[in-house]
Amino acid sequence: MTDAPRKYTYYPGCSSQASAVHLDRSLRAIAPKLGVELEEIEDWNCCGASVGHIEGGTLPQTALSGRNLAKARQQGPQDVLTPCAACYLNTHGVNEKIKADVTTRKRVNQALEAGGLAYEGDLKVRHACEVLVNDVGLDKIKGQVTKPLAGLKVAGYVGCQTVRPFAGTESGGDYDTYDQPEFLDDFVRACGAEPVAYDSKTSCCGGSVSVYDPEKTLHLIKKIVQAAVDAGADVIATPCPLCQQNVEMYQAEINKTFGTNFDVPVVYYSQLMAVAFGLDGSKDAALDANMIAPLKLIDLAKKK
Amino acid sequence: MSAAAPAKRNYDLGFARWVYQNVEGGDRLSLCMQCGMCSGSCPIGAKMDQGPRKLFMMIRAGMKDAVLTSDTLWNCTQCYNCVVRCPRQIKVTNILQGLARVAVAEGYVTERPTARFAKAFWRSLRMFGRTDERIVTALFYFSSGLKAGIDLGLKNLPIAQRMIKAGRMHLGLPHRAKGAAELRAILDKAAAIEKGEGAKP
Amino acid sequence: MDKKQGVYLCGGCGIAAASPLDGLEKVATKEFKVPHCRKHDFLCGEEGLKLIRDDIAAGTINQAVIAACSPRVNQDRFRFEGAQVIRANLREQVAWTQEQGAEDTAMAAADYLRMAITEAKKSAPPRAYEEGPYSERVMVVGGGIAGLTAAREAARAGYDVLLVEAGTALGGRMRDLSKRMPHKPPYAAPQENDIGTLIKAVEGEKRIAIRLGHRVTRTAGGPGKFTVELAANGTTVEEKVGAIVLATGWRPYDPNKLGHLGYGASPDVVTSLDLEAMLKSGAVKRRSNGAPAKTVAFIQCAGSRDPAHLPYCSSVCCGVSIRQALQLRAADPESSVYVLYDELRTPGTAEEFYRAAQRAGVVFVKCKVKSVGADLTVTIDDALLREEIPMAGLDLVVLATGMVPNSTDLFATGEGEVMPVPDIDPLSPIPVAGYAGEKPATAAKAAPVEVKGAPLLNLQYRQGPHLPILADGFADSHFICFPYETRRTGIYTCGPLRRPMDGAESAEDATGAALKAIQAIRNVVEGRALHPRSGDLSFPRINLNNCTKCRRCTVECPFGAIDETAEGFPIPNSTRCRRCGTCMGACPVRVISFENYSVDMLSSMIKAVEIPDEDEEKPRVLILACQNDAYPALDMAGINRAKMNTFVRVIPVRCLGSVSVLCISDALSSGYDGVMMMGCKAGDDYQCHFVRGSSIAQERMAKVGETLKSMALEKERVATFEIAIADSHKLPKMIDDFMAGIEAVGPNPFKGM
Repeated sequence: MTDAPRKYTYYPGCSSQASAVHLDRSLRAIAPKLGVELEEIEDWNCCGASVGHIEGGTLPQTALSGRNLAKARQQGPQDVLTPCAACYLNTHGVNEKIKADVTTRKRVNQALEAGGLAYEGDLKVRHACEVLVNDVGLDKIKGQVTKPLAGLKVAGYVGCQTVRPFAGTESGGDYDTYDQPEFLDDFVRACGAEPVAYDSKTSCCGGSVSVYDPEKTLHLIKKIVQAAVDAGADVIATPCPLCQQNVEMYQAEINKTFGTNFDVPVVYYSQLMAVAFGLDGSKDAALDANMIAPLKLIDLAKKK
Repeated sequence: MSAAAPAKRNYDLGFARWVYQNVEGGDRLSLCMQCGMCSGSCPIGAKMDQGPRKLFMMIRAGMKDAVLTSDTLWNCTQCYNCVVRCPRQIKVTNILQGLARVAVAEGYVTERPTARFAKAFWRSLRMFGRTDERIVTALFYFSSGLKAGIDLGLKNLPIAQRMIKAGRMHLGLPHRAKGAAELRAILDKAAAIEKGEGAKP
Repeated sequence: MDKKQGVYLCGGCGIAAASPLDGLEKVATKEFKVPHCRKHDFLCGEEGLKLIRDDIAAGTINQAVIAACSPRVNQDRFRFEGAQVIRANLREQVAWTQEQGAEDTAMAAADYLRMAITEAKKSAPPRAYEEGPYSERVMVVGGGIAGLTAAREAARAGYDVLLVEAGTALGGRMRDLSKRMPHKPPYAAPQENDIGTLIKAVEGEKRIAIRLGHRVTRTAGGPGKFTVELAANGTTVEEKVGAIVLATGWRPYDPNKLGHLGYGASPDVVTSLDLEAMLKSGAVKRRSNGAPAKTVAFIQCAGSRDPAHLPYCSSVCCGVSIRQALQLRAADPESSVYVLYDELRTPGTAEEFYRAAQRAGVVFVKCKVKSVGADLTVTIDDALLREEIPMAGLDLVVLATGMVPNSTDLFATGEGEVMPVPDIDPLSPIPVAGYAGEKPATAAKAAPVEVKGAPLLNLQYRQGPHLPILADGFADSHFICFPYETRRTGIYTCGPLRRPMDGAESAEDATGAALKAIQAIRNVVEGRALHPRSGDLSFPRINLNNCTKCRRCTVECPFGAIDETAEGFPIPNSTRCRRCGTCMGACPVRVISFENYSVDMLSSMIKAVEIPDEDEEKPRVLILACQNDAYPALDMAGINRAKMNTFVRVIPVRCLGSVSVLCISDALSSGYDGVMMMGCKAGDDYQCHFVRGSSIAQERMAKVGETLKSMALEKERVATFEIAIADSHKLPKMIDDFMAGIEAVGPNPFKGM
């Protein structure tokens, strides 16, 4: 096993610059510790997320990822890595289609021509969690822990799009299951924290529908938080920017609507790792970016 | 599941074939054996006019208008439970998303928050190559009118304030891709290609 | 030949423990004065068999009465060159069902031995008939895929074949197909119509003589000696054949009866065959205006599974519609093709075919078709959406109609008369689950399908020129056990004539029928019976001197094997006979018998049983059990060690039809308290292995009440029971209940007389 870091072309996604700064920052902070070198795609664009095609059209939506892939390829043949579930779904999905379907490949390249770009489908697009499981490995993660998060009870909320529909496929790294994924609990354990028995692991937070039509999905988020409370969790950990935002942001609204008393912090797995690796709670773990302050974690970060 | 009566009764016997040919995943539509796994797995199925299972039967029956005005297309959270569980490997989510696009393109959508949000989203994307959440939100809030926009803004102000406090709302000029113009050219070309090839449903 | 009887008593398998062999030896030597009696502990072992063989070799015996296990087992061991074997069942029906060492058990064993010795006295080893010369040629009627395959297979097996086709060309309906259902893996696409290859193969086969444009106008004789008259253009020719395979195929259900589905109201409502013709011609167009048919709907079960039309499913219509739908989709990717079905039936590999159609974008809708308008609007009641949907804008509606078997000769000039109503009770309901109509038919049943036309073979049999058919028009065969068989020995049906099936199945079916035909010839030339008494050499002999010309035998024979002279005397045709003995049971004056099976033998066996006096309170009930299902069921009760009533005495009979009423009255006048007749299921969905034997017995026993009254006996004393081979668990109670009834009426007053 080589000690030289492995380079990945990094696609951060639009939320990394605003609502998910803490994911981006903590991921960049732990990457070097895990032998992962992230080189951002030069001048990347939005992937279109869940709703782009509705207004823009199917081929334009595909072309969004097409441009990102073309530009990534210009930076070398190394794998593309993205932490955002929706970005991964789009970029990986388009990449697989370009690889498999000649017609799609042709049409996308015809469109890319207008921007002076081209892409033949020779990259691999990977989710950050899959890279951590398959390339880095739990042992290495454990090996970097200098501050085990002892006593911290974590509900490992994986959500939907991180694992569905690609986690069980070969191209998706075949690294976990759709209904009972274990990787997040494994991360939590590696950091020395305790994953609780959490039965809403892959319940849907409402996704983008929660953003613009939360009335329809509040009950879904309530279920997620309630299950964490029932399991005795101190925090909910998640890999997805939309889940993190929805589950955190709407707790006040839920309390008002349902008469509950929720105040459960929602953190990223990378934030847990940052603290466990002994990094700075604010600069690296970005714990001040969480709307509901993860007090226990903040204390752990402060400890020497 | 509420069985709301479809809005119109217009049976288009070419609709199923059109979906088969033009919607991503539609080529497996006839393989649906109506087992109901999708509707049963849907987290939000109970809030849809009809679950995906029934919607697929409606497509096959040629109920084009009812399908394209159904709220099934708009309530899908894209959790992909249906996709991974369908015994016939039908890409239910993709088909619903594809139909949502068709509904917008064909003018079936009069009022849907999703459609308005998508419009706002796309405008930001085209302008900057990235989606600036403030711009998208603002455009979305005011898409229903000035008063509605103000009401929504006020309602969500506490959240906005907390986001700012947490440093999660970008306060400067919107991030932009330098190649936004290049991106627009690509998008326009893609739209033209799609328009040129697509037969109307 | 002098009978030299030897009795062999086996003590193994618990027989000796149940009933000591010494007592049995006394019965043989003292009562019956059998000169030679041996005991052994293990008779079917090498030592025991040697005992018997040595006796035969020494000339001591030529008839061995073996009292041991059931006659249904160890037949290969207890078979000896130079000696006839008679069996007594001391194991399954005595030792294994009765109390060990009890007096009653010993009495039962003794009675069985008595019956066997008596049977031996009245039995002689059967000798084959000699009614040659025989023809070993197979005649195949019908030159479609079934007939062609039967001809080819019989020829390849080394038999000469006479292939008769009424039309002017070979190939049948397969010629009209544009493509075929797939019969090779992956079974996913319509395949080329390759009937031409089969036709060439048959034409090139030297053993096959082809007669095109010929019809069968007359058939006389029997298996091995059929004399057939063929006619063409006014001239006739006579041929001799050994066995006949009928492969006359099918015709579509008359669509003019489907006005309720729009046929006739619009020229654009067509049948599957109409569409096939369009596909074969290369362009599917609307008949009304010649425009291409781009939006097409198939309506399944058109006039099928419907009590008002064809009550049965024709099995292939769904496959055919799927094939045609795939062809339409392939020809025009812009076509919209719908298949409207209530249930879709895709037997066997057709499931893959169905999936291929789904992948090709054919839309399958589960619904009930309510109406088809003249403007081609098909209104359906969609089962999954639960709403009524008017499908407007169709270019073509295709009615998938069912198959009607050509059970009569439609090529004959003149309309022909309506075939006689099937003699199996047409009034029992036909069980069909679900219809294309409103409700499944429960009590109501369709009237038998009216079958018109000249008889296919015009059999010169006393029982008539037609092959007996079932209520739905298909040839009657013993479907459970012997599918290809008809009720006329040596004549076999295959293909859609037998039941609805597609081309590939027809070819397979025809191969089976050809094998049966060959089997018939091979057995007949040796005088052997065909199923179910395969290999039986005995055949009925009629003593015409005492015949009263009552004609019961000629009427009741289930296979029409007996013809009549002008005066009314029976003419047995041994090659047509299946040796069931129904004729024997029918005859009121006992003139019909087999060398090893006769009324005299049965009556003597019945009388050989010792009937205890009334005051001993040991009733005696005779069980006449048919060898096909009832006797095995009794054996099985023994194998399962069920406790059975000790007062019954079982005599196996070939078929309940062979039981003469005289045997019953003999039993009663001998002092038996009751008689149970156990046989296979009778009626419309019969199980009787001789088709009608069980029914006939039940009819006869219905009349025996008169006889009983004349003897001042209660009618409860004689009863018939239906037993299937799997019903052995019901037997103990069945017998006990009957016994209780007998005890209620009291002992037979004829005892001791």
